Amino acid sequence: MTLTDTRSTSDNPAVAASGPPVPSSLERFLGTGEHQAIGRSFILSSLLLMALSAGTLAVGGVSALSSTGTVDISDSVWNSALVGMVLMGAIPLLLGLAICLVPMQVGSPAIAFPRAAALSLWGWLVSAAIFAISVPLHGGVEGTKLEGARLGMLSMGSMMVALSLGAVCVVTTVLSHRPVGMGLARVPFFAWSMLVAAPIWILTFGSTTAHVFLGQISQANAAGLALRYQAGISWFLRAPSVYMIAIPVLGISCDLVGKASGRRFVRYGTVQAMIAVYGVFSFGAWTQTSGGRENIIWITFVALAALPVLVVLGLIADTLRHQKPVVSPALVGVLFAFLMLLGGLLAGVLEALNTTGSGTLLGFEATGLGWAQAVFMLGAAFIAGLAALSAWSRVVLRASAPGALAGTALTAALIGGGLLATVFFIQGLTGFGLGASLYEVWVAVAAAVLALAGLLGLMMVLATSRGSASESAESSSAGLTLEWAAAELSTEDQALLQSAVVASPYPLLDFRSTGEAVEEEK
Amino acid sequence: MSDTATLAPAEVATGQESVETPAAHAAALPPTMPRRRELIFGTVFVTAGVVMAMLTLIGSYIATRDAAGARWLADNQIALTQPNMQMLTMVMSVVTMQWAVWSISRDDRYHTYLALGVTMLLGIAFVNQSTFLFKEAGIAITQPEGPLFYAVTIGHLAMIVAGLIFLLLMAFRTLGGQYSSRQPDGIGAAAVFWYSGVALYAVIWFAVYIQK
Repeated sequence: MTLTDTRSTSDNPAVAASGPPVPSSLERFLGTGEHQAIGRSFILSSLLLMALSAGTLAVGGVSALSSTGTVDISDSVWNSALVGMVLMGAIPLLLGLAICLVPMQVGSPAIAFPRAAALSLWGWLVSAAIFAISVPLHGGVEGTKLEGARLGMLSMGSMMVALSLGAVCVVTTVLSHRPVGMGLARVPFFAWSMLVAAPIWILTFGSTTAHVFLGQISQANAAGLALRYQAGISWFLRAPSVYMIAIPVLGISCDLVGKASGRRFVRYGTVQAMIAVYGVFSFGAWTQTSGGRENIIWITFVALAALPVLVVLGLIADTLRHQKPVVSPALVGVLFAFLMLLGGLLAGVLEALNTTGSGTLLGFEATGLGWAQAVFMLGAAFIAGLAALSAWSRVVLRASAPGALAGTALTAALIGGGLLATVFFIQGLTGFGLGASLYEVWVAVAAAVLALAGLLGLMMVLATSRGSASESAESSSAGLTLEWAAAELSTEDQALLQSAVVASPYPLLDFRSTGEAVEEEK
Repeated sequence: MSDTATLAPAEVATGQESVETPAAHAAALPPTMPRRRELIFGTVFVTAGVVMAMLTLIGSYIATRDAAGARWLADNQIALTQPNMQMLTMVMSVVTMQWAVWSISRDDRYHTYLALGVTMLLGIAFVNQSTFLFKEAGIAITQPEGPLFYAVTIGHLAMIVAGLIFLLLMAFRTLGGQYSSRQPDGIGAAAVFWYSGVALYAVIWFAVYIQK
């Protein structure tokens, strides 16, 4: 007899009983669409790549010291390291946190477009790897060898596209996955700040990617590509565009302060409005030509961006004044992140003031101030990211982060980021007034400490994920928003909470205070 | 991209009002319903990024052309007939696209398919017209105007092709019964992307072809 058909698996009782094949852990890791797994992969990779980028900057400082001693801030390795710290470190860290947290904050079991979120992760990771490889090939940003420079530019563009895709998933989740009663005015601050940041990132990266495309299609040589970067892309690392990196810092700060104090923000809408205003002032795609910069509109944008930040700082201080907070490394970290943010804004304002009138009014060095803005902002984002990771560790990593490790990582990030930004700030004010050797040693040490912070952050995540945390970073301040429900409520209470209408920005606090489901909306 | 999820319980008439315990209430709840407007929001943000990229390219084109002055495209002739016809084609496709949106919101499947088909046909005609225009203009990629001209026009052409693929996918999903008057988001999202492509072509038509 000839067998003409494949035997059904149901004919074999052994196969039928075993059920569908179980994917291996590698298959699960590569193929997951689960937002927490995607977010955690983003976070882990960004911490590692942050360490790599900062380490590259440290090596750049040491090698300059050991060779000619010439200070060349426009060096390709230095620019590549700066771009790396922003696109491979700070922004992906915040995006990873958002992918992990935002769906839970808005009470959604999943992120919008989970496969697109996974594509964003893998697209970014592959592009980041290619970018990292292109740097030693004399490529990266402003590379001197054509092949390396093209590879660097292309991978930078791909990273921007991938990050934009992730941002689309996050912002769509906030807009369309909210539960009943949670209008936009009741969205938690971090989710709200991502709602503001994501469109700004998408628009800015759309514009810079166009220049990457132009660089590729114009068949320029290495010098032409460097010029394309300087003229068409580098603006996103200067005021006001660079402010966009730190938009989520405002949201993280407010959420963590609220949780630490266990108190509602009195002027919730004002904080949201200020975050939105800051976002508007951080949109700077219109400043990419020389005509767009150094005019009264540019100066106004750069200067006014400080106002909403100061208002938010005042409201945070007001909240802390009324209720003594539970002090934790995360709370101290976000407050210092705020200081870094203010430092970046100050550098921007000084650069803007310097350009008023004809020539340079105060004689400041624009390049140094530009670097200071970028490093202050990415430092603020990095510190806030680490603080958020520590504070939300029970939600993101499903265990409490070890306190000593969290504190050390935050301290290192603060010292490294602060020192690095300060050296560029002083350089901008004094116009290369520092001795070359001192300057390079300073940069190398600060960048090395920042790299160490990345590695310590990575260790914190790994230690927490493996459940080896012995001492909690966070004391027992209760969560106020929905992402804490799974960690803090019983299954029955979660079901009760899920079936209720959200009536304020703090559903969990409402739940605890009333002892029942959230009140019906009046 | 998944566009289904669980609606919050209060939105759903479950017919389970008599259930008393919270756990039983929650267990009875989650009927799977599509998330309204998820695809539209996602498409709007993706489109915003694409439009920003295209506007940057167009801005670079205009800035470079202004700097070059009378030398810009001095050796090439671009007759306006072809760009005008392309503009007309795009405008017609807006009408047919809106026809598809209107039909699906009234569960008129026959007209939805017809409108989507005609829109795709007009899109394909636009692609055909573009290739003809490139041939007629004879602008080489190696000449100074070449990279910018093709960055703008090929970039937009790629957007139209992406729009065609989007339309085709949504047409198949409609054929499979995924979209109806209760859930017309797929067609609406495709329309948002398509309209943006048409609007961008209007800018290109004026900035690149009319102003030269």
